[in-house]
Amino acid sequence: MNWIGLWTLTSREVGRFFKVYRQTVIPGLISSVLYILIFGFTLEQRISSIEGISYTIFIIPGLIMMNTLTNASSNPSSSLLQMKLTGQVPDLMQAPLSSLEISLAFIVGGVVRGVVNGILILLIGMWIGGMEVLYPIATIGFIFVVSVAFSSMGLLLGQLADTWDQLATMQNFFLTPLSFLGGIFYSVNMLPDWAQTISAFNPIYYMINGLRYTTLGFSDSDPQYSFVIALLMSIGLSFIAIFSMKSGKKMKQ
Amino acid sequence: MNEAIKITNLKKSYDKTIALKGIDISIKDGAFFGLLGPNGAGKTTTINILTGLVNKDSGETKVFDKDTEKDFRFTRSQIGISAQEFSQDWFFSLEKLLYFQAGYFGIRKKDAESKVNELFDKLGLNEKRNSRLRQLSGGMKRRFQIAKALVHDPKIIILDEPTAGVDVELRHELWRYFKELHNTGKTILLTTHYIEEAEKLCDSVSIINNGEVIAEGSPKELMKSEGKEGLTIHLSKSSSKVKKALKNFTYTLEDTRIHFTLKDPEKALPEIIKKIVDSGSHIASIETSKSSLEDVFLSLTGKGINE
Repeated sequence: MNWIGLWTLTSREVGRFFKVYRQTVIPGLISSVLYILIFGFTLEQRISSIEGISYTIFIIPGLIMMNTLTNASSNPSSSLLQMKLTGQVPDLMQAPLSSLEISLAFIVGGVVRGVVNGILILLIGMWIGGMEVLYPIATIGFIFVVSVAFSSMGLLLGQLADTWDQLATMQNFFLTPLSFLGGIFYSVNMLPDWAQTISAFNPIYYMINGLRYTTLGFSDSDPQYSFVIALLMSIGLSFIAIFSMKSGKKMKQ
Repeated sequence: MNEAIKITNLKKSYDKTIALKGIDISIKDGAFFGLLGPNGAGKTTTINILTGLVNKDSGETKVFDKDTEKDFRFTRSQIGISAQEFSQDWFFSLEKLLYFQAGYFGIRKKDAESKVNELFDKLGLNEKRNSRLRQLSGGMKRRFQIAKALVHDPKIIILDEPTAGVDVELRHELWRYFKELHNTGKTILLTTHYIEEAEKLCDSVSIINNGEVIAEGSPKELMKSEGKEGLTIHLSKSSSKVKKALKNFTYTLEDTRIHFTLKDPEKALPEIIKKIVDSGSHIASIETSKSSLEDVFLSLTGKGINE
């Protein structure tokens, strides 16, 4: 292993998003605070509680998860696409770095951004919403596993994308709708049977409910099932992303 | 003497275009080697396969006798490449980028420090070490590109069009630096559009055209074997009809300078003068010269290196 090379590229990836924290960290915090204030506190007057949990607190795990997976996936995808468009890919491909080392560095970059964003919103939820976390270690562990899965997905997208438009399509047409439909603002039990069946095919539904369980002790889905799906996604997607990097598809000519 | 680079029967196609038809190149350790060819001849493809940026279809590429795919860690660490295209970075300073580059090659920051300082000094970029790439002029970007190639102190330096777009003064400065590097024992592989550059710097060259090596040897040998002479005519007024008038000759035309490669310039001169004058152009001066690498190139490829 080229450990110094791996460390260098990882620190570049982490350093890059911290350098532009106004784009990569602050927006998620602001939108989450707004969701909590506007959706939470206003709708709380009408929706008294879900399974005995106040509506404001109910939505916080979903907000944490939405920010975690969005940030984890967009870090490697945007960084890699930017490197492609600015001619920096040769610097990596011509260095004595293996596909595994390059992939790991990008995945770790995305994981750090996903975990940092997730934990900051968790802290905001505790501070503004007064949420108490039932299983803190499992919560952080779950945020970590989901970050690995979506950072790997972001790495794959970054390899395949040629334009910003293609990346935005993925974000706007898949990630955001699936997050909202995964039950950030509602319990799936409130939906008609057919909609509940469709929700079972949405992987983000399991991510949100897994975190809802580790924080609030309540979940629409079986918590063990949520954890297994997150783990399988993180293993599967990281393998696919690394394998794709090894093949050189869209990276080499 | 050991071979620093050995390329055997290298083939590469992009969809239906054949880029390399079976290239063979051997570069001795310590050589200053020139790879010449017109645009699209396959120079950059060859270099990119050697350095891992392009996957080959077939053939063998070795660096110090090690395969560039199987032993990529070793072979890539031996090579520093100054690419033809500038890369950009929106986030980090030049200094940071140079440390990153060293890090990718497995060199810790504290171990790279003296080399980074030396390169900033040597390439006149000291004042710009905290600047971003976009704040640099073309010449400075070119110098930084060279610094990146050298930061891990490689044994082989690949310079892909290293003086493209730089002014004459900097070009001569860089030539001096390349010679200095060569004198320290580095093997240099140079691709260039400036024939004069190859003639001045290289001890051996390969001329590549349409994905094939069509000539190789030292510039002197090649010039001797081709045995043709050069004729350069400078025009004080150039007519658009001049190209048509000279269609039966092999020449390169750059602004008002026309360079011919001829077996017997004295015999052809009256006809050339007549055709130029008839086309409406005015001749300012005429020079004849002994065979140069430009003549060899022109004679072998039938076109100028910039075409």
